[in-house]
Amino acid sequence: MDDLLADFVAETREMLEASGGEIVAWEADPSDRARLDAIFRFVHTVKGNCGFFDFPRLERLSHAAEDALAEVRGERRQADSALVSAVLAIIDRIGEMTDAIEAGREFPEGGDDALIAALEYDDSEPMSSSAPLGTTAEDGAASDRPAAARPQTVQRSIRLPVDLLDEVMKGVSDLVLARNDLARRLRESDRQSTLEQPFERLSALLTGVRESTTRMRMQRLEHLFSSFPRLVRDLSNELGKQVMVDFEGSDVELDREMLEMVRDPLTHIVRNAIDHGIEKPVERMMAGKREIGMLRFAARQSGNQISLVISDDGNGIDTDRLAAKALAAGLRTADEIEAMDERAKLDLIFEPGLSTADEVSSVSGRGVGMDVVRANILKVGGSIDVSSTPQNGTSFYLKLPLTLSIMSSLTVETRGQIFALPRSFVDEIVFARTHEAELVRAGESQLLTYRDKRIPCIALEEVLFGPSAEPLDWSRKKMLVIRLASDDVFALGVDQVIDHEDVVIKPIAPVIVQTGLYAGTTLLDDGRPMMLLDMPSIAAMHGLVAETRGRSRSDREEGDVAETAPSFCAMLYRGLDGRQRAVRLDLVRRIETIARSAIDIEGGRAQIVIDDTLVPLVGHEAGELPPSECRLLRLSDGHGELALIVTEVLDAIDLPQELRSAEGNPDYEGIALVDGQPIPLIDGHRLFARHDRPVKDCAQPTCRLPHDSEWARTILEPLVVAAGYTVLRDGDQRSDVRILIDEDPSAQQDADAALIHLRSSREARGAEDNSIYRYDREALLKALASLRRENAA
Amino acid sequence: MKRLMLLCTIAGRKAAIPTQDVSSVIEIEAIAPVPGTPPHVAGLTALRSQALTVIDCRVAMGFESAGDPVGSRAAVIQQDGHLYALVVDDASDVEEVESEVEHIRGGFGPQWERAALGLVETPGGPVVVLDVPALLGLRQSEAA
Repeated sequence: MDDLLADFVAETREMLEASGGEIVAWEADPSDRARLDAIFRFVHTVKGNCGFFDFPRLERLSHAAEDALAEVRGERRQADSALVSAVLAIIDRIGEMTDAIEAGREFPEGGDDALIAALEYDDSEPMSSSAPLGTTAEDGAASDRPAAARPQTVQRSIRLPVDLLDEVMKGVSDLVLARNDLARRLRESDRQSTLEQPFERLSALLTGVRESTTRMRMQRLEHLFSSFPRLVRDLSNELGKQVMVDFEGSDVELDREMLEMVRDPLTHIVRNAIDHGIEKPVERMMAGKREIGMLRFAARQSGNQISLVISDDGNGIDTDRLAAKALAAGLRTADEIEAMDERAKLDLIFEPGLSTADEVSSVSGRGVGMDVVRANILKVGGSIDVSSTPQNGTSFYLKLPLTLSIMSSLTVETRGQIFALPRSFVDEIVFARTHEAELVRAGESQLLTYRDKRIPCIALEEVLFGPSAEPLDWSRKKMLVIRLASDDVFALGVDQVIDHEDVVIKPIAPVIVQTGLYAGTTLLDDGRPMMLLDMPSIAAMHGLVAETRGRSRSDREEGDVAETAPSFCAMLYRGLDGRQRAVRLDLVRRIETIARSAIDIEGGRAQIVIDDTLVPLVGHEAGELPPSECRLLRLSDGHGELALIVTEVLDAIDLPQELRSAEGNPDYEGIALVDGQPIPLIDGHRLFARHDRPVKDCAQPTCRLPHDSEWARTILEPLVVAAGYTVLRDGDQRSDVRILIDEDPSAQQDADAALIHLRSSREARGAEDNSIYRYDREALLKALASLRRENAA
Repeated sequence: MKRLMLLCTIAGRKAAIPTQDVSSVIEIEAIAPVPGTPPHVAGLTALRSQALTVIDCRVAMGFESAGDPVGSRAAVIQQDGHLYALVVDDASDVEEVESEVEHIRGGFGPQWERAALGLVETPGGPVVVLDVPALLGLRQSEAA
């Protein structure tokens, strides 16, 4: 709320400043229609905002001014100087009240009526226009609002085009470089002694100017945060959730441009948190949490970085589901997923083409994912990371550089030339000759064995100058272990690691960008240009990025499935009998491993306990259950759930729409050929049809039983309930169906309810008797079912 | 229409660069080579704490390079926010040119054709007007 208020104050003040000129011009020429319109718009906007914030006094004032101005606009009234003065007085008052709101002070009571009266004043009694203003001033003096205190609370501001600001910034960083150049020349010249002092002074001044220009570009995070309470309110209303927002470190300052760059990514994270993270109030209560979800923003400045943490106390990210999705989307193979730890699975969220939401909702949508968020953050030189605890919430950690143009870098030398690379990419510097690192060759490629891992190597020399004629002496190279944001790791061999320094990065000409080797340039202190290496691009050029992903996908494209044939995705698994089968991926909600003890099989009924609910089990009849742990595919048709027990989950595969007939086996939708192997596809419809239970919803029909019959209560009631009825006991309520036992069908007429008559005797009493023998289960269920259908219709 | 042109020599021939493009003429002091770039990019040079991309005009047009550009004269031009130094054999004078830029049937020869805008008459004779963006490889020359 405070942030919204700050916005309101800023907006009002901005308009006030903008309309200042208009008011003066209008005063000079009250017939000027354009000025009038501008002022009208101002009071109109203020009025609208006041309604939102519940400022009755401001609203009343602006409303009165709006009315008066509307009359002038409608040419029902002439704008005379008295009216102009009255409107001006009100605008002044609005400004004063706005200041009071910002400072959190109470505005002194009274004076408003006089101002409003001045508006309505028409002809006779000529009223001094300064009277209401005078009153205001007196009010002010009388209250605890000393005039001297005012300038402190009102921060005057002007708006500037960003271009101009950029130019100044650029000028200042050029000045710094020029200073460095001058320093070098001074060192070389003999006149050092006489010039030293003025130079020092210049240097100190420049440092000051640089700091204040940097501040010029900075804006408090508050400015960004201010839009979130509204967003959160709207979203949580829409989704039927309750969410509270908490901000910490709103006073941290960030480059304005950076602020705009991270606005969309942050908005996306907020949307995700509310849509997928925080549960509905009921679910939260059940999980033993407070009904109201919490969304926290915490910002901190540490050195040259701003760290920003956005955390919610929602349900956390379901890593298994992420993994299943990655599998489904073909981003990873089952083997790869099997080898992943929790952390790696969690990182899948940044993978393109993944969304954890089962349904495409209007809130999160499916177009923009976390991959775009990460790409945008990386673009500004930042990083993003995520952590999540099941049931406890998710946190996103953002790191943003303090300014766009200054980068912490490592300088390296190769073939006598110096290059810089962003420090954030360098994991470690390894000297190839130490005992813990070993260089090995595999085919033509060079590998570095380091801490039991084999890392591919490239030599900067070859990257820049092309393959060398004579073999490289790798043992003399210093190896930089580079870790890209995509977590791809490789080693870069350089001749010499020089230093690490903060450099001012400047853009490079397109002809140099085209090489894909450089991200920018910077001038060294001695004025020599130095190139900044573009590590992600270099890695991509040498095939060091995400090879596996690219390969697995292209393999699939070259497979049996013709590209044009319509296909669908299915999950391939091995059943308990060791045979491979497939199930439509749309049905698979998640893959789970569960203890053998959770399975309960008795006769024809098989169930499994998952998360304290009983889920029907299928697939167990195929063979022996595994001794301890069972792999499950949890299938869902959108309402009910089934657990399919398997020996092994193999892969997500594309199957052609056209399947071969399953030759009379009704359990299969058809047979697909995968790598020459016939793979039966489970018929999902049939599977769920067999295990469908009556849907329980509030529209259940009601049934009244004889209340005095013990038999009805103990034997009949469970049967009726199982048939999908709610049994009523309270005599007042009207029921849809009424069951009578051993009563004369003709004697009992209930206008409201449909009747079912039961009889105790096995034989019917006559031809007219349409009652049902009470142990004729089939007939009774049939009657209940048909009445239920009628009722539904 | 009168226009000012910087007259220079490239591969022994006279050429002109419209002065609205030229901010100054410098002598290349030092060059930091940029490995991996096309041959006509000689490297970067610093001018008043700004980095200039040095373009060897001879190479850009397809002639033999005159060797290390250090000590050569270069026209500093700004294009799309980037600064370039166009290395020429020599840069003599800024002249006022009265004639329109004309196209010549038959062209100027394969190398010149790549970077020529057309022909202008100067007091010293006809010279080829260079098409700077084309010279930088940013687009094809407009000359027919």
